[in-house]
Amino acid sequence: MSNSTTSRGGGTQTVPPTREGSSAASGSTGRTPRPEWRQRLTRLDVRLSPYLYISPFFVLFLVVGMFPLAYTAWVSVHDWSLIGGKGEFVGLDNFREVLGNPYFTKQLVNTISIFLLSSVPQIVIAVVLAALLDNQLRGRTFWRMSILLPFVVSPVAIAIIFGSLYGDRYGLINELLGHVGIDPVGWHTERFASHVAVATMVNWRWTGYNALILLAAMQAVPRELYESAAMDGAGRVRQFVSITLPMIRPTMIFVVITSTIGGLQIFAEPRLFDETNARNGGSDRQFGTITMLIYDFGWQLRDLGRASATAWLLFVVICAFGIANFLLIRRIGALGGDR
Amino acid sequence: MTRRPGFLVYGLLTAFLVGSAAPLYWSFLLGSHTKEIAAQGVPPLLPGGHFWSNAERAMTTIPFWKAIGNSLLVSTVTACSVVFFCTLAGYAFAKLRFRGRGPLLVFVIATMAVPTQLGVVPMFILMSEFGWTGTITAVIIPWLVTAFGVFFMRQYLVDAVPDELVEAARMDGCSQIRIFWHVAAPAARPAAAILWLFTFMQVWTDFFWPLIALPNSNPTIQVALNQLQSGFFKDYSLVLAGTTLATIPLLVLFVLAGRQLVSGIMQGAVKG
Amino acid sequence: MALTLATTAAACGGGDDDGTTADGVTTITVATFNEFGYEGLIDEWNAANDDIKIEQVKVGTWDDAKANLYTKLAAGSGLSDIEAIEGDAMPAILAEEGAFEDLTDDEIDGRWLPWVEEKTLNADGQMIGYATDIGPEGICYRADLFKKAGLPTDREEVAGLMGTWDDYFALGEEFIKKVPDTAWYDSSGGLAQAMLNQVANPFETDDNTVEVENDELKAVWADVTGNIEKGLSTKLPQWGDDWTASFQNDGFATMACPGWMLGVVEGNAEGVEGWDIANVFPGGGGNWGGSFLTVPSQGDNVEEAKEVAAWLTAPEQQVKAFAAKGTFPSQVEALESDEVTSATNAFFNDAPTGEILAERAQAVTVQPYKGPKYSDILQAFQAAVLRVDDGSQDAAESWDQFVTDVEALG
Repeated sequence: MSNSTTSRGGGTQTVPPTREGSSAASGSTGRTPRPEWRQRLTRLDVRLSPYLYISPFFVLFLVVGMFPLAYTAWVSVHDWSLIGGKGEFVGLDNFREVLGNPYFTKQLVNTISIFLLSSVPQIVIAVVLAALLDNQLRGRTFWRMSILLPFVVSPVAIAIIFGSLYGDRYGLINELLGHVGIDPVGWHTERFASHVAVATMVNWRWTGYNALILLAAMQAVPRELYESAAMDGAGRVRQFVSITLPMIRPTMIFVVITSTIGGLQIFAEPRLFDETNARNGGSDRQFGTITMLIYDFGWQLRDLGRASATAWLLFVVICAFGIANFLLIRRIGALGGDR
Repeated sequence: MTRRPGFLVYGLLTAFLVGSAAPLYWSFLLGSHTKEIAAQGVPPLLPGGHFWSNAERAMTTIPFWKAIGNSLLVSTVTACSVVFFCTLAGYAFAKLRFRGRGPLLVFVIATMAVPTQLGVVPMFILMSEFGWTGTITAVIIPWLVTAFGVFFMRQYLVDAVPDELVEAARMDGCSQIRIFWHVAAPAARPAAAILWLFTFMQVWTDFFWPLIALPNSNPTIQVALNQLQSGFFKDYSLVLAGTTLATIPLLVLFVLAGRQLVSGIMQGAVKG
Repeated sequence: MALTLATTAAACGGGDDDGTTADGVTTITVATFNEFGYEGLIDEWNAANDDIKIEQVKVGTWDDAKANLYTKLAAGSGLSDIEAIEGDAMPAILAEEGAFEDLTDDEIDGRWLPWVEEKTLNADGQMIGYATDIGPEGICYRADLFKKAGLPTDREEVAGLMGTWDDYFALGEEFIKKVPDTAWYDSSGGLAQAMLNQVANPFETDDNTVEVENDELKAVWADVTGNIEKGLSTKLPQWGDDWTASFQNDGFATMACPGWMLGVVEGNAEGVEGWDIANVFPGGGGNWGGSFLTVPSQGDNVEEAKEVAAWLTAPEQQVKAFAAKGTFPSQVEALESDEVTSATNAFFNDAPTGEILAERAQAVTVQPYKGPKYSDILQAFQAAVLRVDDGSQDAAESWDQFVTDVEALG
């Protein structure tokens, strides 16, 4: 963390460590010497403030965020019926059972496939869209707010609309394809087609959201950088690649990490898309995801133990992907500091 | 970047706008026709004249305005709380040195990687321990802080607030809280505006937890809208008139807040 | 905000308090899904009673109601005083010892049809639920499409042609030869459900041993999947968007029609003319669906809740619910009442639906044995049928996967 190291060095000049005493600092900076209690106070301020700032968050987070996690971990090593409650301690049996379940592998592959089909195009389009919006547009507010429109649509409406778009027999898309002589696509039955359909729903909903996050970061890039680059004869694309992208890297990391987490936990869209009674992702779980398997174990089969074990297995998968993505993006933009 | 954007830029943006708005328009279309036409699937391109009669039906079927009021309350309170607490913590993670900073941040991010589907059971147990089940509090509390918010603010502030600025302020003898308030907070405005909006929308569309935590006489809007689907036969014109109507307060909010938010994004740009 | 919290807590009985306010009024909450037709009844009760008030908690679908029910059973609190349970989930509820009150009461002995009452008894013979409605099945058909195919259209004549499943399928083959663009029935899933409801032990033996490789189930499987090949089925998942759209597109000519299905057909087929219902069900009578009211033990006012549940499911009340939302009563007296037997339905060519359905209810002879895993296995079975429907697997492959799925249920 190079930048942070710099700031620490700076800090040492103003607020010297206790053991060196106070005389050195007040003398060398040439400012009005401050009374010692004041310096102590400042030092206390510097030392305690961070904890003060994070503690309200952590206190609340421990209750609302951590308790459910700890509970799930506790349940995952027990025989635990949703209605009947806690049974025997079974160690890792639940995990073994889940790993041995053929649907786990199948739904893991589905999850990754849908994740790739949604996250990759989503981030690429979001970057382009943010770059377009980072212009001196007429009616800026209008354009910027308009990309959030998908966000206001109620999930109930999304299910209905996308259901009639992607109907296998009477859907609008297949009807249009029919006009140009293409055979109807089995959106709910063919595995890959169903992934595409679900990914479309995801992308429709979340691209604008990611674009807005990236836009905010782009707006924080100092304009002078562009001006001097322009004077050096750099074109707009070149400016974008060599100035904008490196400057928004922390936000880029944020977007990639959160899309990885969100993408691998995808639940609402495939569930809304499903038309079977069991709602676990098509007749042969063509588009069933891991989170749908968790729901199936938990609420359909009422086996909270296996459901919790699946949740923690997904946690491991997400961490692996998250770390890989983090390293990847750090390598891609290996300019500037390590953040 | 003084050059005015050209036709291509507007063309692309318009295409995107059409794609974003089409499903919303479609719901309005189906909601504006009789259920007979709505039942036939793909609607005519122009709205019919039955939107208000359908909407009125929806409003008498469910406690519509009460639900909107509840959702506004829950979304506003949580959005403000998330922005406040997460900006504070995010700033500490981005700009202050303290023991355990790195591991704590990784820990916060890692908690996001645990799927939340199972969280409702322990959360319900927790809320009933506190005696909050059935009240609006039960829906607000779980959203007061989010790991997402902290991570987001941290990533934004790490670059948006130059270290030199923090340093200079400290050299001038500013206390930490003054630095936060006068240096970090203004720089955080655009990100804070976005975080506010996102949290608001996310809580607004949340369904499962409010369904379980609130009594049905006092629901949030998503839970209320779901009641329109009672019965084996789904009356699309009724459901979609209801959902469209429920987006109107949001659109108004967007227009009102939009200027504020976007100007926030502009002003937040730290000059060098 | 403090004010808001205070008022909401008062308005809803505040979750954890015992539902009794200072002036001695007890509020009993009744959680229902879909349409129970109870709105008018609750108003009637509340107008007549001062000490106990009823409040309805309505959720859109059983799916959501179930998630809510299970979460709160798991958490040990938060359920309504009375919870409605969908019929096929009842066996799993009966298996949960101690979670629900015993509602046995001599005064209401003989209120329900015997085969309905049987579904409410747990292993110890305690009555855990009060039945609300049932779903006796007839055959709904499109008279206009029948005419097009040169088949009789009169409901008595049609009934005469469908005495057995073989008759019904043979008639279907004749039909699709004449009208090739229209399937014979709405969905393989619906047919499977109808046929399963005539099998004595579809998935489990009487001592709750899972046994899916039995001849009767295999026979149902062979019929359902064989018909898919012959083109009798629309091959669409029941309740899906395509299925809904098929009502408007002459997608099929007949369907198994429990009483509550009439409203579904009328809604989905709005504007389509020619629907009728025949007083017949292939292979004897059949019942599909029906719900129960239960009283969870975690509630604070179980005695009052029992009283309210008994009142709501009394014949006089269910007759009114039938008038309001068409939920067909399960009570002997209600079935004999004039209001029920004289009911007709304009959409179904003025058919005497009350009389027909009452007769269909009397015709139910076999009640399938449903153990605690019934609903889980049924979902696996429906998925298996759908795999053949949508062509992702052939019948043999899909059956094998079904067997594996059932084994994995543990």
